[in-house]
Amino acid sequence: MFPLVSTTLFLPLLGALIILALRRSSASVVHGIGILTSALTLAGAVWMWLRGVEPGVFSQLEQIDWMPAIGASYRVGVDGISLPLVLLTALLFLLTFIFSANVRERPHAYGVLMLLLESAAIGTFTALDALLFYVFFEVSLVSMYFLIAGWGHEDRQRAALMFFLYTLLGSLPLLLAILGLYLGSDPHSFDMRAWIADPPLSGTAALLALLAMLFTFAVKTPVFPVHTWLPAAHVQAPAAGSVILAGVMLKFGTYGLIRFALQMTPEAFRQAGVAVLVFGVISALYGAFVALAQSDLKRLIAYTSVNHMGYIVVGVAIAALATDAEVRAVALDGSVLQMISHGLVTGALFFLVGMLQARAHTRDMARFGGLLKFVPVLGWCFVLAAFASLGLPGLAHFPAEFQIFLATLRIEPVALVVVLGIAVTAGLYLRAIAQVFLGEPRDEWLAMPDLNLREVLTLAPLLVLIVVLGVAPAWVLEVIHLTTTTLK
Amino acid sequence: MTQMAQDLALLKPEILLLLTGALALVGEMLRRPGAALLVTAVGLLLATGLSLPLLGLDTAVFDGTFRIDALSVWAKLILLPATLLSVLLARAELGGSDREGTVYSLFCFTTFGALVLAASGDTMLLVLGVLLSGLGAFALVAYPRDDAATEAAMKFFVFASVTGAVMIFGLTYWFGATGTTLISDLGRLQQMPYVAPLGLVAVLVGLGYKASLAPFHFWAPDAYQGAPVCVAAYLSVVPKIGALFALAQVVAWLPENTGWRALLAGVAVLTMTLGYLAALVQDNAVRLLAYSSIAQAGYFLLGVVALGASELALPALVVFGAAYAAMNLGAFAIIAETGDTLEAVTGLGRKRVFAGVAMVVFLLSLTGIPPLAGFAGKFLLFGAAIEAHFTWLAVIAVINSVLSLAVYLRLVVPMYKARDSAQAPLGYQRWPTTVWSLAFVATLVIGLAAQLFLVRLSQTV
Repeated sequence: MFPLVSTTLFLPLLGALIILALRRSSASVVHGIGILTSALTLAGAVWMWLRGVEPGVFSQLEQIDWMPAIGASYRVGVDGISLPLVLLTALLFLLTFIFSANVRERPHAYGVLMLLLESAAIGTFTALDALLFYVFFEVSLVSMYFLIAGWGHEDRQRAALMFFLYTLLGSLPLLLAILGLYLGSDPHSFDMRAWIADPPLSGTAALLALLAMLFTFAVKTPVFPVHTWLPAAHVQAPAAGSVILAGVMLKFGTYGLIRFALQMTPEAFRQAGVAVLVFGVISALYGAFVALAQSDLKRLIAYTSVNHMGYIVVGVAIAALATDAEVRAVALDGSVLQMISHGLVTGALFFLVGMLQARAHTRDMARFGGLLKFVPVLGWCFVLAAFASLGLPGLAHFPAEFQIFLATLRIEPVALVVVLGIAVTAGLYLRAIAQVFLGEPRDEWLAMPDLNLREVLTLAPLLVLIVVLGVAPAWVLEVIHLTTTTLK
Repeated sequence: MTQMAQDLALLKPEILLLLTGALALVGEMLRRPGAALLVTAVGLLLATGLSLPLLGLDTAVFDGTFRIDALSVWAKLILLPATLLSVLLARAELGGSDREGTVYSLFCFTTFGALVLAASGDTMLLVLGVLLSGLGAFALVAYPRDDAATEAAMKFFVFASVTGAVMIFGLTYWFGATGTTLISDLGRLQQMPYVAPLGLVAVLVGLGYKASLAPFHFWAPDAYQGAPVCVAAYLSVVPKIGALFALAQVVAWLPENTGWRALLAGVAVLTMTLGYLAALVQDNAVRLLAYSSIAQAGYFLLGVVALGASELALPALVVFGAAYAAMNLGAFAIIAETGDTLEAVTGLGRKRVFAGVAMVVFLLSLTGIPPLAGFAGKFLLFGAAIEAHFTWLAVIAVINSVLSLAVYLRLVVPMYKARDSAQAPLGYQRWPTTVWSLAFVATLVIGLAAQLFLVRLSQTV
């Protein structure tokens, strides 16, 4: 069979090599290659979606020996959890390339890094070999570091350094946990499927491995109190970088939480479930309240990410605690769908803030006012995305959060205090909309141009999907459900 | 064939290496440095080729004193090409100076000493190896004959004499206790819990100085900075790996109750941490890399600590040895091309894209970012340490890896800043560029295809 997963995975890398080879080409050629490559990658991802997954197993497997002496192979494949994430990744990267088609500052390096990042991101979601997973996981860090350091805003060097150090500190414990699982497996191998089918560690060893993994994925997600890298990185990153960081890379954390922590050390996770749940609840509430205190629009959205990702952590913790398979499936369905929704909604919001900043050169909400009058299209797009972000029924976050809360009610009703977060985010988004887009129009923004075609093309797919997912989430949930119902 | 002839046949690479050194000297006497260079290059390549058939052997020659095993053969396969790369760097840096040919021959003799160290089956060979690899190295450091180089060589020499004397002194205890100098008889120390640590500490002093393990590392930054960059690059790789492999040869035979694992683990922690903390405040690129090479020696110790307790230990030492040689020589080659201050690399990534990419790859590989060579090595080292129940050591190594990122980014950040027009232009030089290109390929290949090493190692194990 045609190696579709690998082709999709390495297409962006091929594009990056082509850009490297055509070093003398103009910026528009580079952007053309970027858009074309990522469009083909999206086509590959859609084809993968059409091929679908089998219930309870990994599908579309592709495998080649890599280091047989230590049991490491190149193994890729997808299941109901990773397939939607691959699709989301491919879509967001294509839109990012369309959005960045006006980058004139070192476009070659920019294109190479973005494409490298795309390969790494798809690789992270499709890898079924722990060593391979780790390779992709780290390569994504490196490319994001250079993107922030090279194309970020005022204080980018410091933010990039902090991002890199923080997330490397975060990811190295995962390496130790992987080694622990490897040494515990018999025969020694890095096959994630084998680890999931038959968790190699038990007792204290499993608990230690779980702690290491929880630390790694908590930093990545990010969960309070190891979230402090996120606002700095987001605010300083270029708009496209923020979109990828929030839309794709934060999902590494929650994806890893399910794939590694929940599936490979299930018993230990059950024991530690309440602690994880507490961190999830604190994170969700903390993110919401701190977002309330922001005056910088980008920082505000960054903190709502902490809030939304907190719900996912709650969902995964509930799934670990649930003894009833049905409730567990509901919690996980909600969590995975929330990853997709968050990718779409926060992606759209960061694009919009980027567009606003490109026009106004500021992100300070107090300096805006009445923008709906000058830039109605941009304004209404923002209103729609903001409403989706606060969890309005009929938009993308609602079905996801609803399922998470439903499962929470069945298992740990006390944890439902997390719903408070919704009220807070509603308040803060309404305030932001009032401050920026309503109110007294200010003359200094009189000449602000509305969205151009490139920007509309960037936003339209996201906004359409936000509505579609809100109204009819079944087509995605069906795929997710195939895997979540069979999880042990 | 007699025993002697058989033994000598197994030593073909070493014999060829000595001949190469002598022939390079002849070239110098005839005032033909170009010919000396050619002879050295060909000799080193041939010696590497002659080492290949020895892979998979596990034996010893000359009554067990000189070992032909995985460590010693891989030492040849790593150090001979590393010497060749250093020679090419020397051609660029010292070419045209008087006595250029002697440099090449000194490289050969020093490498011979390092190979003797890595093949030690006898404590007297340890002494011999330390002396052989030391004498040539002093001369190499002092080669420029300016104040800095002379001072560096002097410091290096004094350090070497004292630590060498301590080692010989300590080894006499082992000899007295076991009645033999053979390393394979060290198991007899089992019943002598006081003598064993005395000798062990002495060996650690002697080899620790050579491998620049803390607290015997003080000479290294000064010697590297005073010496020509090509010599610094060479010293940070060849004698160091020789000494670390020698340490592995010794401890593999020591009885458990000597506490050597705990002792080496302590030294590893000290070396890694001190190395990177000191590197963090350097503003000279060579000194920064010198401290980094000290810290990296600490990582090697993770593999040494796990010897005999984990099957991953030996592969880890070999893979990390090859990786370290490639990435460290590569980083030094770039510095040789740009100059040794941190500002000298400013704008490198913008003006010379591929040199920039290569340097970033070397530095990230030194940090241990996958899928580069350094990651393959460190990953095996961590695995070996965990399997040997030294998880805490792996945790400290991991924390130091984060610290090391902060160190190496100090070189990466200026590379992508705009270059001051007042600064000298970033010129292209043939030999350093050749060296870092080769090192770049090696760094990628070792990282992605560590299997090439592992499969041959699993045959010997």
